[in-house]
Amino acid sequence: MAKNISRRKFLKNAVIGGAAIGSGLGSYRITYGQAKKAAGPIKIGGQGAISGAHADYGWQMTAGSTMAIEEINSKGGVLGRKLEMKFMDEELKPATAVKNARYLVTDWGADVLFGVDSSGSAMALGPVLAELNRVHIFCHAATHRLTEELVAQRRIPQIFRISVPTYQDGILPALIMEDFPEIKRWAGIHEDYEYGYVAWNTFKETMKKVRPDVEFVSIAWAPFWTMDFSSHIAAVMAEKPDAIHTTKWAGEGVMLIRQALTMGVFDNIKAWWQCMGGSVDVLQGIAREVEADKFKGKLWASARYIHNYPVTPENRAFVEKFIKRWGRYPNYSAETSYSSIYVIKAAVEKAKSLETEKLIAAIEGMEIMTPAGKRYFRPEDHQAVYNVPGGRVIKSPDYPLPILGDLRVIPAKDYYRHPPFTPISATK
Amino acid sequence: MYLWLLAAGLTLVFGVLGVLNFAHGSFFMLGAYAAFTFYEKLGINFFLSIFLSLVSVGIIGVIFERFFLRKIYDIDLPYQLILTFGFILIFDDLVKMIWGGVAMIPPMPSFLEGNFSILGRPYPFYNLFIIFAGLAVAIVLWLLLEKTWWGRMIRASASDREMASAIGINIPVLFTTVFIFAAMLAALGGALGTPVRVVAPGIGTAMIIQAFVITVIGGLGNLKGAFVGALIVGILTSYGILLFPIFELFIIFVVMVIVLLVKPEGLFGK
Repeated sequence: MAKNISRRKFLKNAVIGGAAIGSGLGSYRITYGQAKKAAGPIKIGGQGAISGAHADYGWQMTAGSTMAIEEINSKGGVLGRKLEMKFMDEELKPATAVKNARYLVTDWGADVLFGVDSSGSAMALGPVLAELNRVHIFCHAATHRLTEELVAQRRIPQIFRISVPTYQDGILPALIMEDFPEIKRWAGIHEDYEYGYVAWNTFKETMKKVRPDVEFVSIAWAPFWTMDFSSHIAAVMAEKPDAIHTTKWAGEGVMLIRQALTMGVFDNIKAWWQCMGGSVDVLQGIAREVEADKFKGKLWASARYIHNYPVTPENRAFVEKFIKRWGRYPNYSAETSYSSIYVIKAAVEKAKSLETEKLIAAIEGMEIMTPAGKRYFRPEDHQAVYNVPGGRVIKSPDYPLPILGDLRVIPAKDYYRHPPFTPISATK
Repeated sequence: MYLWLLAAGLTLVFGVLGVLNFAHGSFFMLGAYAAFTFYEKLGINFFLSIFLSLVSVGIIGVIFERFFLRKIYDIDLPYQLILTFGFILIFDDLVKMIWGGVAMIPPMPSFLEGNFSILGRPYPFYNLFIIFAGLAVAIVLWLLLEKTWWGRMIRASASDREMASAIGINIPVLFTTVFIFAAMLAALGGALGTPVRVVAPGIGTAMIIQAFVITVIGGLGNLKGAFVGALIVGILTSYGILLFPIFELFIIFVVMVIVLLVKPEGLFGK
């Protein structure tokens, strides 16, 4: 029930926030250029999926960013100016995302942008950002092409990504699972779109390099919103794999794991790697099964941030505050959006200006401490480099929900792709 | 088998009422949510919660039929599609307001847990249970429509609405009952799926397209066709994944296109 109350409270705040924005508009007209604007709040435009089946990801984004803005404003804002946010629904549709961005910048007067869940929306938005000339911090959309093609090759410097790129879910599991010599036969059950293709291809590529003895025995592609995975599971299990690598995320990930359990998969394999399994919503979904030790310690996972890593005062404070404020654990979108706001704050303070060119210069090469640990925005493609561990899904006496334990950290700077970027084969 | 339950209701409503109900998938979703609430939140027995979920969705079905669908029986199909499609969005958002957007997962009833071995492959008990439930519904439906007075009334009004009302069948009441019945079939599909699936907004829309394909293959308005169509789609999907993982997605649509070209009224259509 606590969840519902916090949601209601959140809605109420959103309404009050909306009213504040509305009344602010009347008193002061915004012009398109930034130079004419003197004091008043610094305006941050955000967007994410806040309706539809994946609305909880957008909710996490608004929750994380709202909390950061409240913290900053209670300490006097940035350069003496308050932060103000307007968050819009991108509906996971590229056209909507573009329309929102245009509205936020030209009508509402946003100084900086952040957010976006869908990779498709992000790719459509990229070229528009060059035209609108606003910095945009992407905090979920993961396609590597956003930073590699649009930033490094087409030179759209307004784009930054604070979250991990898609290939993280191929390379990291390969580097962690290479340490298990008894696992020789891998199979995959993957998303039937770019994310799945890239993760599976980079997984195979990396694994072949570090463990030439490994075979890839079977693969099944499951389209977005598959409900019944029994055929996919039966198809890959027919080849008797030692382990399974899968990109299915959110509710679909939970369904896949649970259906695998009913089919006795965990009696016949040695490991199962769930790329986004470390996200709080998935851990919550399989809590009962973890409690009953149905996975026998064979379930491995990662995410784009997990709340029990790193063990730093920054992270502890963030998680505690988040639970107090919203009554739930933060997932990775909450952390990335929270940190996006702090990156904006650091950039404005460093540039002492809101001019896009100066902000870009301030973020390029920036090192900043965030709940997820130290992030470094490398100048070559504007991708934030930070470590996200992988680990086994376990029950811990210190947490109400399962967490990742037996954590293995591999420095991201050693395995992130570097320019010159060669295209990843993004096909089946 | 879930698909069969969903397609059965869809085809029944089309056959009798002449309405192509896009919002049928929403009843599937509402059935899942209701079953989840009774079973997980209120701790009611698994079978009783399924029954209660059917009753609640039946009630929603009555309201939906009486106040909205009834007004559009006589207008063109495109308008019906627009209204029922609008209701998909309304139901999805209502569900989100009541239960929140997070996917929820009810536990598996312990007596249906586990699996057994067929030809050396593990097969879950739960799937066996679903197969029998689906078959049972098929038999009950057949008996109901072929052997009872009520079934005869339905068949009569399906083939000639005016004639049926002329001989004293109360068409509006009959339509409402059929609609409730169809909504309950969809809800049963949703409710039965909860232990192995998730309960989330959008699960109905994910299913409805496949249900449409099934009814088109089998013949719109034909129950036998829906049953065979569901089997064809299920088997094609499974073998597609096993044998042609690269293009399993469109196999069922290819079959649908072939059926439409060769026998546009569907395999069992008149």
